[in-house]
Amino acid sequence: MSMEDYDFLFKIVLIGNAGVGKTCLVRRFTQGLFPPGQGATIGVDFMIKTVEIKGEKIKLQIWDTAGQERFRSITQSYYRSANALILTYDITCEESFRCLPEWLREIEQYANSEVITVLVGNKIDLAERREVSQQRAEEFAGTQNMYYLETSAKESDNVEKLFLDLACRLISEARQNALVNNVDSSLPGEGKSITYLNCCNFN
Amino acid sequence: MADDLPTEFDVVILGTGLPESIIAAACTRIGQRVLHIDARNYYGGNWASFTFSGLQTWIENCKQELNTELAAACKGQALDNEEIIPFNKRNQTIQNIEVFCYSSTEDGEAVEEAGALNINSALLTTVTSSDGQENSSIDISKNHTSTEQNDSPEGRSDLEEATNSDQRSADSTLETGTIVEVEPSLTQAIQQDSPKTITYSQIVKEGRRFNVDLVSKFLYSRGLLIELLIKSNVSRYTEFKNVTRILTYHNGKIEQVPCSRADVFASKQLSMVEKRILMKFLMHYIDYELHPEDYQDYENSTFLEFLKSKQLTPTLQHFVLYSIAMVPENAKTIEGLKAMQHFLRCLGRYGNTPFLFPMYGLGEIPQCFCRMCAVFGGVYCLHHSLECLVVDGDSKLCKAVIDHRGKRVDCKYVIVEDSYLPEQICANVSYKQISRAVLITDCSILNTESNQEISVLTFPPADKGQTAVYITELCSSTMTCMKNTYLVHLTCSSTKPTAKEDLEPVVQQLFTLSTENDIEANDRTKPKVLWALYFNMRDSSGVPRQSYAGLPPNVYVCSGPDHCFGNDHAVQQAENLFHELYPSEEFCPPAPNPEDIIYDGECAQQEPSESSIPVDSKAEASAENETVVESYEDSEAQKAE
Repeated sequence: MSMEDYDFLFKIVLIGNAGVGKTCLVRRFTQGLFPPGQGATIGVDFMIKTVEIKGEKIKLQIWDTAGQERFRSITQSYYRSANALILTYDITCEESFRCLPEWLREIEQYANSEVITVLVGNKIDLAERREVSQQRAEEFAGTQNMYYLETSAKESDNVEKLFLDLACRLISEARQNALVNNVDSSLPGEGKSITYLNCCNFN
Repeated sequence: MADDLPTEFDVVILGTGLPESIIAAACTRIGQRVLHIDARNYYGGNWASFTFSGLQTWIENCKQELNTELAAACKGQALDNEEIIPFNKRNQTIQNIEVFCYSSTEDGEAVEEAGALNINSALLTTVTSSDGQENSSIDISKNHTSTEQNDSPEGRSDLEEATNSDQRSADSTLETGTIVEVEPSLTQAIQQDSPKTITYSQIVKEGRRFNVDLVSKFLYSRGLLIELLIKSNVSRYTEFKNVTRILTYHNGKIEQVPCSRADVFASKQLSMVEKRILMKFLMHYIDYELHPEDYQDYENSTFLEFLKSKQLTPTLQHFVLYSIAMVPENAKTIEGLKAMQHFLRCLGRYGNTPFLFPMYGLGEIPQCFCRMCAVFGGVYCLHHSLECLVVDGDSKLCKAVIDHRGKRVDCKYVIVEDSYLPEQICANVSYKQISRAVLITDCSILNTESNQEISVLTFPPADKGQTAVYITELCSSTMTCMKNTYLVHLTCSSTKPTAKEDLEPVVQQLFTLSTENDIEANDRTKPKVLWALYFNMRDSSGVPRQSYAGLPPNVYVCSGPDHCFGNDHAVQQAENLFHELYPSEEFCPPAPNPEDIIYDGECAQQEPSESSIPVDSKAEASAENETVVESYEDSEAQKAE
């Protein structure tokens, strides 16, 4: 695939506690695979999937944590130029839900303030072991202005929807941003214009 | 998830500064199991950068004394024939911290030094409106291209443009034979129509916009670090800005140093004769090795004497010595020629100056190498201290380390940043010091139409025995400071007891230090300092291994940042240490491009690792590099025409 073969390029970054299924979500979406009991993804920086929405080719660059979340040691630079964040927890693990505020603090500090954040409750195939109710998660997402979605990487439930919805939102934001940018550029520190700059330059 | 550390690694690395991070990445790239630890809760050690509130915390922590007792847990973990070498847990590399606030506080309260730094109260202050911000909105995409360095089309077009415009202006000048000599004093350049005063609480409120580097360095566009970032593909994690101006302080004025041919001919400080002399001199000595007869007689003299002998005027001598070669006055001829050649060769690769600066600050760079390390399986633990090394009684080799929870981790090699070494090992080491100042100012030291310049200025030494001060001025589009401010870094080798004594005289010459809110008209020629920080950082870069006493042979030491302007020392050190550990392995080979990795549906289930990387990815990468290099050389050749 040639590098110019798309209309938009977005960087999507996954965060959340270790073991909530971040890598499985990415693999399910990009490769259609669910590798049970897979180890860490060695040597893979990010995965690419190009999707077509309303006749436009959207290239999604999906970044995983490279295991640095295990001991709370994610680099700030990981967040820097993300267009969207997928904050994931495991619906069968209360602890992974309780850590969300901590993750939000990191987002607030390092990600650009216009980043789109989606909260994802993964592993709904294990509904019988659910520890976090959908209502609770929805309420929490509401207070933080996040979209919320429940998924199963294993059963492929809502995985496509998660990424495609996100792509749609990113496109409409990019359009708005481009309009706004003509009159008034975004604040320095948002980092957004840089990302779009790259995006446009490859066109 | 109760996730305990694995009990065995090949390499344990303590400290996340630049050299340690490069080594970490290099080790996992050849399949070694790496545990990378830092006792601090942030990446980078003395290479880190901080938001404004993060910087306050850092300042507080530097003043604190930590519990230095060896955790009792350690004792039980060592076996009978093993000895223990405890790590140092107190950071003694930062001293003489002094903070001054010159910006007004909202309620009119006088602000004196550290008292004003109560973060909590300041954070709660709400700022009503920030007027005057709109008239200077920044269009990053127009004024500045962020150059991704690989082989981005952007970088090339930039270069072509620069080259073309070089030629155009040179041609037209030569044809008409006239050079307009305008002599307006540049220091009295355009003032903003409405002076905007930034208050301390605005700085605090916008604190997230700041990324204040503890060390201030730029990247030479053909320096070792840029070459390594490109070669290893670590460059994909970060973006850069071109440094836009080289400045010089000459006869009490700040002037822009002409770098490119276009700059030279457009320069207002040089006479026509000087312009020709300078161009001829630079073109001739870019390949100084080809003309040994021209400098042989001066090999034992200083570079300055050599410059004098070449009929350069005092202005040109000053330009070449301080701003192009950037060497001290006592540098020898060859050293000066080499530095000048390096500078000239770096020109035009990405922009009109030889330097690049990473977006969000230099502190990003170690993190980028850490990310690469993690992607290849390195385990990361910040805020995790190691208590001691475990040394075998017979072989005297280090066998393991023990962490603060008493957990023993076996390893083959230990790499440690020197600040963690205990006094017993460092007793005979003498250190140099670096003096640093960080200023937040309200306008540029050399105002022009653009308020988004990134500048470097070498301030010549005031007295004999002192060293030149490197000054970098960063604008808000580097993502290191808030809008309508500049972040200024001053760095020199220490010659006086404290950083403030070394640097304040320079600060006073270039800036206005005043807590007064109203600005007198005559003061407006200088930028106003809103906030200032001084500190000394230990420079352990020149310490030879032999000066550490009783270090097990398989424990290697990385030094902290050096005082030089580039990053070559750290990269060279990392490469050397890596090759001591693994003499026959390649240092940081290119990581595969994620888009080139082919996943074989079935295979991937069993082997989710590197096995599926196409063989030719390396070849491709190097072929690409070659074409890039070629095109640069072409354009350089054009330039030299």
